[in-house]
Amino acid sequence: MKKFLVTFLTVLLGGAIVAGVGVFNAVQGEAPPVLVANVVGTKTAPSGEEMPHAELYLDVYPNSSSQVPQPETKSPINNVLLAGQPFYHPSTSLQVPSNSLVTIHFRQYDSGGTIYNPYFAKVHGTVDGKMKWNGKEVSEIKPDEVGHTFTVHQYPESTQPYFFMSIPLPMNPANAKTDKMGYPVDPQIISVTFMTGEAGSYVWNCEFPCGDLYQEFGGPMQTRGWMAGTFDVVDV
Amino acid sequence: MSVDAAVETKTVFGSEVPQPPQHGAAGGVMRRLNFGTGLVGGIGLATIAGWITAIITPSSASSDTFAPMEPTYVYLAVLLGWFIGFMLGMGAFVGPLRWVVGRDITHSDAEYMAGKDLGRKRYWKYTTDHKVVGIQYLIVAMLVLGFAGLLAMLIRTELGMTWTSLFTPSFYNSMIGTHGIAMIIGMIVIISGPLGNFIVPMMIGARDMAFPRLNALSLWLFVSAVPMLVSSMFMGGIQDGWSVYYPLAAQAPPGMLGYQLTIIVFAVSTAVASVNLMTTILTMRAKGMTWSRTPIFVYGIFAASVMGLYAFPFFQYAQILGLSDRVFNTSFFDPLNGGSVWLYENLFWLLGHPEVYVILIPSMAVALELMPVFLRKPLFSFNFAVAGIVGVVALSGLVWAHHMYMTGWAPAANYPFMLSTELISIPVGFLVLVAIGTFWRGTAWTRLPLMAVYAVVFNKMIGGVTGVYLSDVPADQYFHGSMFVVAHFHYMLMGAGLFGAMAGIAFFFPKMTGRFLDERIGSIGLWTAFIGFQITFMSMFVAGLQGQPRRVLNFDDQFNLSNWISTIGAYVIGIGMLIFLSAIITSWRSGVLASSNPWGSKSLEWQTATPVPLENFPVLPVVTERPYDYGVPDPYEAELDSTDQDLMEKAGTK
Repeated sequence: MKKFLVTFLTVLLGGAIVAGVGVFNAVQGEAPPVLVANVVGTKTAPSGEEMPHAELYLDVYPNSSSQVPQPETKSPINNVLLAGQPFYHPSTSLQVPSNSLVTIHFRQYDSGGTIYNPYFAKVHGTVDGKMKWNGKEVSEIKPDEVGHTFTVHQYPESTQPYFFMSIPLPMNPANAKTDKMGYPVDPQIISVTFMTGEAGSYVWNCEFPCGDLYQEFGGPMQTRGWMAGTFDVVDV
Repeated sequence: MSVDAAVETKTVFGSEVPQPPQHGAAGGVMRRLNFGTGLVGGIGLATIAGWITAIITPSSASSDTFAPMEPTYVYLAVLLGWFIGFMLGMGAFVGPLRWVVGRDITHSDAEYMAGKDLGRKRYWKYTTDHKVVGIQYLIVAMLVLGFAGLLAMLIRTELGMTWTSLFTPSFYNSMIGTHGIAMIIGMIVIISGPLGNFIVPMMIGARDMAFPRLNALSLWLFVSAVPMLVSSMFMGGIQDGWSVYYPLAAQAPPGMLGYQLTIIVFAVSTAVASVNLMTTILTMRAKGMTWSRTPIFVYGIFAASVMGLYAFPFFQYAQILGLSDRVFNTSFFDPLNGGSVWLYENLFWLLGHPEVYVILIPSMAVALELMPVFLRKPLFSFNFAVAGIVGVVALSGLVWAHHMYMTGWAPAANYPFMLSTELISIPVGFLVLVAIGTFWRGTAWTRLPLMAVYAVVFNKMIGGVTGVYLSDVPADQYFHGSMFVVAHFHYMLMGAGLFGAMAGIAFFFPKMTGRFLDERIGSIGLWTAFIGFQITFMSMFVAGLQGQPRRVLNFDDQFNLSNWISTIGAYVIGIGMLIFLSAIITSWRSGVLASSNPWGSKSLEWQTATPVPLENFPVLPVVTERPYDYGVPDPYEAELDSTDQDLMEKAGTK
């Protein structure tokens, strides 16, 4: 009887350790708070159909400051390793309505350079294949003037509704006038409108290497909260 | 023979034995060192080294690749400080230092180091007795496997909870990489470490290992590497799988340093242990123990040592070069600066595949070792078993690139490697056939160790058959990188390897602890884990055939069902393993006492007393017959009997 009690306690203790470590790490690794695109009215799709219209506002900063805090994280090591690295603000966990037209407004405060793959200097997946950049409509930018990209794609082997979108965010020139925090006074303003289909879960990331280590593909490039995140299309 | 009066003598079994000259007095600081002082030394020196490095490294320091270098340098200093401080605190350098200053270890010191009269304290010290080292290896390997198993449970929880995401992708990747390398290290050690050290010297009739101090060194090097590996999880983790291919490894956070130093230290530990085991087996076998009388388990351990000795240095070099790339901005694996990622892949798999056999061969050998005992018949074709082991060793170094079919490294080499990989299934098949042949018409005494052998043989066959598909270039184009591969290698490494270790532990438990492993609780644990194992990995085969890629946190809904089932199976494995662990704990504390040879085995380790005396045998044994001749009439005995009868008849006493 005593042996079976010890056995039971061993299993219980083992389960408690697994659960404890799991819960601790799950809390540590909480995703950034979800940024929801609110429906603001309706808009006419290229097909002439009236669709719900939602909007999202995202900024891209080259680093944190007293004005713009670092992405929320409960992992102390990320605060050390990713300090001074660029990030999307206010969140990288995005949620948009299904079967809608969604407009995302970007303010891009970071510098940039030449992107390895010029495919990502072009606009993909918007309603008209274009984006509005500082008031002008363009379908691509010069590959050597890219600051970041906002690229949404599928999970591997996915059977959910196909969705792909990639927007190049132009860089700020090196001589741009900056405020006391070092951010350009006149950031690059970009807006894009795209159409969502049925509900699905996607991921997005920046395809311009802006992190650290090998070819600058390390650090923030791989970390949600910085240059990667989730993109959920939900029924509302 | 007279003994010179100037030479110190000692009475050993009634004889005056001259002792070697002593240089200097016995005792000293070494008698105060133990695991506690090792921890203090390691943590203390790590703290000091990290603190000094943080002060002298400018916070703005960055590498050519824009990485902030302060965390890297500080972490490196902490790891090196830990390693040196821990080994100093354990007393690993006492022997060499005393030798350098002309005060070599005295005979009294050597006995102290062997743990004589130290009781349980000897398990916490830099003890040289092979039996103590074997027990220490068992505990540490179980802790490593427990840690890796914990990560496995978390991984399966994440994959099973398909409606939500528990962990961030970075942490998930880190768990995958750490689980992989921790399991590999634990599995390499779990048979060769405890049983290789505790059992092999006794099995060949030796008093200890050939190099007892190296034996302790190999163990404590291994121990020192474990915190390095665990610490990497707090420094961004190993996010690139256990293979850490480049350039992913070059993009990884500083946690990669923990991986690199773990491998570098563990490879030294493995080399030291391998040389020690090989020398012991080659030079210290008892009189009369010819190669045909040497137990198959000894062949298995010898083979694993040979493969570990030639294969681990490749892996170690790869990590040294990778560490140099990261810390010193060299470019061995950076293609943009003349380096080669294929160089890394080749160096990695030159260990990566022989390592499978470093795990598998001891497992099969322990199964073959205990089968004749429980089936009470000779091993079916001992020579075939030896040929199988020799064949695996010979071919193990010629199959590595089957892991690289799809990398584009050398397409023309795919077919020779396909041939060599399919060829190695022949000697591996020999071992399975010997096992099946031994079962044939055996009178099974189905105790816990034999039950574990049933599990080993079943799992080995599933793993072997599915491996043939992966060795095939056209089939591998489809299966490559999928969960099918994950299921296959778990059948080999865990299904055959870990269940083999369970068989070995259950079999040798009475000799190691003086008590039986609880049969009822142990067998409940074994079969629970076995059933859970089939549920987990059979459904993983299905997920792989459906096309689910491995190492992917978020996957499509079509894979949900197989992942749910797989996760349920993983929990069942976890429960089974914990039950087996509780059987070990309770049996070790208060199990049924065992006699010195409770299984009625014929091999030497069972012929000495339990608990085993310090030098194993009062008088070194002489071997006169093969180890598995159960049920075979002894020709000499028969001859003697007839002669005796003739004499008795002549003398009229019959």
